[in-house]
Amino acid sequence: MKTRIKELRKERKLSQEELALAVGTTRQTITSIEVGKYTASLMLAYKIAHYFGLTIEEVFDFSEENEF
Amino acid sequence: MEKFKITVKRRIALSSGIALVALVLGAYSIYSIITADISTATHSDGFVAGFQFGLIVSILGLAVIDIIKLSLAMKDETKLKLLYNKEHDERMKAIRSKAGMPLIAITSMLMILAAIVAGYFNIIVFYTLIIAVAAQLSVSAVVKLYCMKTM
Repeated sequence: MKTRIKELRKERKLSQEELALAVGTTRQTITSIEVGKYTASLMLAYKIAHYFGLTIEEVFDFSEENEF
Repeated sequence: MEKFKITVKRRIALSSGIALVALVLGAYSIYSIITADISTATHSDGFVAGFQFGLIVSILGLAVIDIIKLSLAMKDETKLKLLYNKEHDERMKAIRSKAGMPLIAITSMLMILAAIVAGYFNIIVFYTLIIAVAAQLSVSAVVKLYCMKTM
């Protein structure tokens, strides 16, 4: 799944470690989400979106997931 | 986080208890090896005794590492938060689950205990159980590494 996490982090000059600490996960998980290897759970997606002050849809791109 | 601090304190106490028991068993194990009657002892007897001693030393080592790691985390809030995040990380939970944890660890522990007991009666059963434990732990480790690369 594509996400805007990297872009949002860069805008706020935030490291993966800092974001991970803030949303209660590890740096490795943030890396995996950013490169699309791992799809975050609803709770983690909400925490990340909430941290950036955005909605889940604004951070995570669901367009590819809806294709059959 | 206060709840987690209590959990960590309990784990430090548990690891200290395990380390103490391992220390006593280790001392007894050394005493047994030194006072063993070499003239009647077989190669298998020595192997079982050596395995037990190695296992006790490993448990002691792991318990000490755990105590140090947890004690350091207790002194630093950031380290404690990192430890909490690491233990409650959903990706790691998924990887551990795919690698068969914690069931593989529990069955391995039971099989090692069974192997030690069986070692006093039949050395073939001892070897078989130890090889089975090594095989299942290796498969679990390979699956874990694969998942960590792909997830």
